[in-house]
Amino acid sequence: MSGRFRGGDPHTLAAAYAMDAVPEPDRARFERHLAGCESCRQEVRGMREATAALAAASAVQPPAALREAVLRATEQTRQIPPPVIQAGTGWAARSGRGWPGWRPRLAVALAGALACVLAAVAGVAGVVAYRMQNRLDQAQVRDHTVALVLGAPDATMLSAHVRTGGTATVVMSHRERALVFTAADLHVLPSAESYELWLTGPAGSKPAGMVDVSGRGKMVGPMVVSGLSAGDSVRLTVEPASGSTRPTSPPIVVIILTAQQ
Amino acid sequence: MTGGQDGPRRGSAWVSRAGGPAAGQASSRPPADELGDLLAGVARGDHEAYAAVYDRTVGQVLGMVRAVVRDPAQSEEVAQEVLLDVWRSASRFNPELGSAGSWVMTLAHRRAVDRVRSEQKAAERELRAASAAIAYDEVTEAVEARLDRERVRRCLGSLTELQRESVTLAYYGGYTYREVAELLGVAVGTVKTRMRDGLIRLRDCLGVDA
Repeated sequence: MSGRFRGGDPHTLAAAYAMDAVPEPDRARFERHLAGCESCRQEVRGMREATAALAAASAVQPPAALREAVLRATEQTRQIPPPVIQAGTGWAARSGRGWPGWRPRLAVALAGALACVLAAVAGVAGVVAYRMQNRLDQAQVRDHTVALVLGAPDATMLSAHVRTGGTATVVMSHRERALVFTAADLHVLPSAESYELWLTGPAGSKPAGMVDVSGRGKMVGPMVVSGLSAGDSVRLTVEPASGSTRPTSPPIVVIILTAQQ
Repeated sequence: MTGGQDGPRRGSAWVSRAGGPAAGQASSRPPADELGDLLAGVARGDHEAYAAVYDRTVGQVLGMVRAVVRDPAQSEEVAQEVLLDVWRSASRFNPELGSAGSWVMTLAHRRAVDRVRSEQKAAERELRAASAAIAYDEVTEAVEARLDRERVRRCLGSLTELQRESVTLAYYGGYTYREVAELLGVAVGTVKTRMRDGLIRLRDCLGVDA
């Protein structure tokens, strides 16, 4: 009961696909098939018009407050730039201007995955309920950059174990010259000490912020670090609670921000 | 659903209504294009255009998400994410791949289904399979309560029972085609065919342009 298309013919999946009823790994397979099958794309398209009508049938009256919340959120949310179409790269590239799921792009998958993580971490990825307005205000600048990095076409995710326990994860975009840092399960420090994040380049380490572990070490971040260059690294050290201007202890994790090949 | 928003209900402007005799309205062509034009404006950062897109789609986005997710608070959260997605990724809309309306609803449905599936832990799934019959009853009930459009109701009614069940379980229930097969106790291949036949019949009955 796993793996292959039952019945052999992926064409029969168009309807199920249009209803998001095809789970992985069949979905990925079907999408690869779609990329080379114009008639299948047409069929999916027709199916989606039909399902959209189903959606129309369930329309409800939205709460008035929703409008203001969403419109306000757009003021603070950067848009994804239009995809640049490269000549001669076939349908898959053209479909970059396209539909969810028709874009076999790593960055998108990463962004999606991380968006979930970040939403869980701090509840600031994307729009968060207007109930959280105050917290959101503080998070706006950071949130903006988070969205920018996650939406970047060259977004890349790197993860590493922290020597003293836990995991550090970075999503970076060289294009946006920024990264988003999160960590999980960090060892809880005595109150006199704190984790500090550094961006290290040829000129040395610049402080990139104190890591707030008030959540008892579970998940921290997202922290935004801007101004990175290829070959830089992010490091985490243990410093006095007040923070340092230079690292005073060896790093407990180093993530090198390799350039994209 | 009472009150809250003044002004007329603006949920569904883009759905082309073949044979829907709107009083005194010369058959202006499906507003789908209009929504597409608005989206092009949104892609350029036009907030007014976005507000118009919002007004035209929010009712359907929220309604559909609610039909899938059920929990009202969570549905609202998902709907917000979807509506912000529309703002963020308007530049990705490509009219060659379908109407603007179906693009928005595709974003919405994908997110709604993701939410439902991510919440269903493996154990829960097993439990759910065990109480398949109950789940099915709930789904149909929830769906039918919301199918306030006579035309869609009529078109759904024109499907065979198996076609209709396959489509509603997948679309509103958020079930995968294999789960639908299990719920209905039929072969996977049969379900795929019924979904396809059902959607084709639905599409033809609704007169939506592909």
